[in-house]
This record gives sequence, structure tokens and C-alpha cells, in this order.
Amino acid sequence: MALLETRELTKRYGTIVTALDSLSITLEPGIIGLVGANGAGKSTLIKILLGLLEPTSGGATVLGLDAATQGPELRQFVGYMPEHDCLPGDVSATEFVAHMAQVNGLPKAAARERTAETLRHVGLFEERYREIRGYSTGMKQRVKLAQALVHDPRVMFLDEPTNGLDPAGRDEMLDLVRRTGKEFGISIIMASHLLGEIERVCEHLVVIDGGKLLRSAPIGDFTGRTQVLAVEIEGDARQLMARLIQLGLKVKEEGRLLLIGIEDDAVYDQIRDTVADLGLGLVRLEQRRQNLEDLFRTPAAEEPNVVAV
Amino acid sequence: MSSQSDSAGSIYDLGYRHYDGARLGRRHAVLSLYFYTLRGAFGLGRRTSSKIIPIAITIIAFIPALIQLGIAAIASGVIELIKPENYYGYVQVAVALFCAAVAPEIVGRDQRTRTLSLYFSRALQRRDYALAKLAAFTTALLLLTLLPQAVLFFGNMLATNDTTAFLRDNWRQVPRIVIGGLLIASLMASLSLAIACQTPRRSYATVAVIAVFLVTTPLANIFVREAGSIGHYAILFSPFDLLGGTMHWLFDSKPDRESIVYIADLPKLIYPGAALAVTACATALILRRYGRIAA
Repeated sequence: MALLETRELTKRYGTIVTALDSLSITLEPGIIGLVGANGAGKSTLIKILLGLLEPTSGGATVLGLDAATQGPELRQFVGYMPEHDCLPGDVSATEFVAHMAQVNGLPKAAARERTAETLRHVGLFEERYREIRGYSTGMKQRVKLAQALVHDPRVMFLDEPTNGLDPAGRDEMLDLVRRTGKEFGISIIMASHLLGEIERVCEHLVVIDGGKLLRSAPIGDFTGRTQVLAVEIEGDARQLMARLIQLGLKVKEEGRLLLIGIEDDAVYDQIRDTVADLGLGLVRLEQRRQNLEDLFRTPAAEEPNVVAV
Repeated sequence: MSSQSDSAGSIYDLGYRHYDGARLGRRHAVLSLYFYTLRGAFGLGRRTSSKIIPIAITIIAFIPALIQLGIAAIASGVIELIKPENYYGYVQVAVALFCAAVAPEIVGRDQRTRTLSLYFSRALQRRDYALAKLAAFTTALLLLTLLPQAVLFFGNMLATNDTTAFLRDNWRQVPRIVIGGLLIASLMASLSLAIACQTPRRSYATVAVIAVFLVTTPLANIFVREAGSIGHYAILFSPFDLLGGTMHWLFDSKPDRESIVYIADLPKLIYPGAALAVTACATALILRRYGRIAA
């Protein structure tokens, strides 16, 4: 069974703003990254899948249940960590998370037990009995993750889970998300505008832009396409660059280095031969993994009509 | 696992277990929210400062009953100073203050902290959330409207020498007290929540609730006294007087000659009718608000 499926999903705010534009996508269980610029429609998509928003047209099923009509039943098996602050300040994490578990249908005793376990899993200890208002941003993010996990969902929607965290906090959060997905077999849809984070955690990548699906593929497909060769030579790099462009390669200058896209394995030979022909000294020929960010920078920049969500 | 715990830094991993137990679904979700809200109305499970105001006001609502019982104890049940139909008049300001203090907490807090997203992404629907909140707040108000009367009734019963005779003479009061308490609690709960849920801002909500209860009373007074027979209907826009009239209908009692219920002189049945209509409209407003609010 597919994890989720959307059919021609469209969401308009008023008449001008189109947040989602006939998005049709089918995803299998796994850890899925949802990438797009701010306002690409990530949060809107998640909210529709949760039944928090009604689509203008089209429909969506999650875990085989219709998001719009079978909301309460579906949401028993779904966890949601919103992007924004969502915690009351005047209760303790234990009290709040246990309550959240019960609102997801867990009996009281089970809710308490699961709360203790889940808070420990996310790394909250003695402080879980203190009021949430005294927590640091990192601790609050952990509570937000805990409330999404406490009822042992089959799928979790995480909207920018590293929001507001410092680098160390980011690392810990990403690690936590990765382990939750890999070791516990909980499917995760993680929205982020930071491709680096998605790369570290996810197995599958969905790119949306301007409310449209740009691409949906295993993460390997993306990183494969993002291989570049960094070439350092002794002599006139411009001369080499001109020749390589003539051969039809994609070449970019970066300081003293030339970055060359790897279309196929012949590229290595082409570079070697060209350097030799020109009588230049080849200092370094190094394979580099380009960031996914670079891959999508162009399409995002080309579309200034990206809408706010 | 050791490499995992290394990279996880300070996070202990004592193993994650899946949950195979019962999932009780929507009904359980609504009931949990109901009890959580009810506890929250009195600040239970919260810091001490959240308990002071609701509990102090609740105690005030019991004072008339305790005074009457004190008198009854001394004068051996001869003097009935506070009658059930009037009890509401003694505590109405306390109930209104409770509404003004607590209603914004019941419905404003989740909007302010944006916790609504977490509720609406769980095993309930928007209208379930709204109705659970309303039911919980109505129950909280019953503690102020019904419980003191129950204390008074049982107190009076124990104070008499002949319990059987007391019950024979007074049993008719029991359903009236219960229905009266329910009418008052549901009208005041729904009206104050309908107002308070329109804003996440606590101070606005408090002032608006107070205004609706306390400012309408003198206004209705002026209209009833000065604006002729059409003006008499202004009494229906004052929740206190509307409920006062409803109690006179319920207990089949005569209003005081000075009171505006007496002056307005409307058919008695119009009061419970209007009370139910206000409750229904307020409930519809609450549902409408939660149907539209962004989460």
C-alpha cells in the first residue's frame, strides 16, 4: 500500500495565490524529504494531508484513508510536528505530552507510560516535570517531536524540525529523526528548505516549487546527477575552459579551479586529453559531490512568482 | 547500537518499543479533552497562581448557601432567607466573573500558543474540539450554579427534624433546581465562550465578557423603564435579567415589585424560550469560529 497519494491536489488562497497546483504524487513508505523554497507549498501540502486544510480541488489519501473525510481515524496513526511554536507554557512536558497522547486515542495509563518513554527517547530527563515556558528552543523542539511520536504513529510529518536550533542542536535533531525513521520503521515526511539536512536523513526526495511537483526520486538519483570534477591546472585555465566548452561540457570557474559536470565517464578522458593537447600541467583532478542546493538554485531563481503560504 | 549512541551525543537510547495496545479513537479523544479542560478551568495541574482566581470565585458562590445553613442551624430551619429561585440572583456576579476570568483561558490559550494545530491533527474534528470545550466549561459553571443549591437543599433537609416531611414538601424543587442550574450554566458558558473564542488576546476577551454581562443589565433597565412597551423586550438582551425571568418561570414565583422583570411584564414563557435561543446562537457562533480558524 502506498504511504500517501494525492490526485490533482490544488489549493488556492483567494483568487491570486496558488499554493498547490494540481499536484499528483504517490509515495511509498520510507523517510521522505520534501524540499522547496520558502512558500513553495510544503506546509500547505502537509496541512492538507493532515486534514487541517481543505483543498480547493483534488484529493489525498494517507495510509489508504481519505484525508478530508476520514480525518479522525487517519490521524490516530499520524504524528505532526508543526514549524511554528505550538506548546503551552504553563504545563510540564510530561503533563502536556500525556494529554496529547490521550487526544490521539491512547488510554490514560498507556499514555503516561508512552510519554515517559518518548520523552526519554528525545532526550528530556528531569526537566520534563518543569513548566515548558522555562525550556530552551532545543528542548521545546524535542517536546514537539515527542508529541508527534508519543502515540507510535505509522507516519510522521515534520515541518522544518531544525527550526531555530544551533548547529549542535541541529545535528542531534537530525540524528533523532533519522533513527526514528530507520530503526523504528516509522515513515517520515520531513519538509525543509535546507537540502543538506534532507540529504543526511532522507531516502527519497520530493521537490516542489510554486506548488508544482518538480521531481520525486530516490535520493541517490539526485546526488548522482550532482557529481562534478574539480580540476586544478598549471597554466591558463581559461584556455582549457574554452576548449572544454567547445566539446560541449558544462564548465564553471571557481577561483583557481574549474568545476566540470560529469555527464558520463568519457568526461575524465576528455579532460585528460585536452589538458595534454594544450600542454598544460594537471595538478589535481578530483571528484566532488555538489550540494543538492546548487541543483535547484536555478529553477527556483527562474520562478519569481513563488507564492507565500 | 554503540556507534549510534556515540553520534547521538547526550541522547540515551534505552530502546524504542512500538505500541500495540488499544487505540480508543475519537470518543476517547473528546472525553480526554473534556476532562483536561475541566481540570484546567480550576487551574488543576497548573501553577498555583492559575488556581487562585477560579477557586476563590467558586468559594464566593457557596457563601449564600453557607449563610443560610448557618441561620437555619441557629433558628432551627424556621427562617428561609434564601429561596432556590433567588439563589441565582445572589451569585450571578460571581458566575459572570468566573466566566470573564476563565473563558479566555479555555478557548484563548490554545489559539495564543497555537496548540490548535496539534489538536486538529489528532483523532478529533474541529467541531468535536469546540463542543468538548463548551461541555467542559458548562460543567465547570454547574459547580457554581448547581452545587451550592444542592448543598443548600441537603443542608436544609438535614436541619429539619422530619426529613420525610421535608422531602414531601420540597421534592418538586429538585428537578427545578437541576434544570435551572443547567439553563444558567449552559447559557453563560456558551455566551462567554462565543465571545472569548473570537480572539487569542486574553485581555480583550475578559473585558468583552464582563461587558456583555454587566453593562447590558443597566442598559436593559433604562430601556424597560423609559422606552415604553417595545422597550420592555430589551430585557431579553440582558443575560442576568433573562435568566432571572427564566427562574421565575421555572419556580413559578412572583418577581419582586421593584425588579425589571416585574416592570417588563412579558409572558413568562418568553424567558426560557429566549434563554434557549441565546444558548443555541452562541453555540453556533463557537462552531462557526472553530470551523474557520486557521490551524
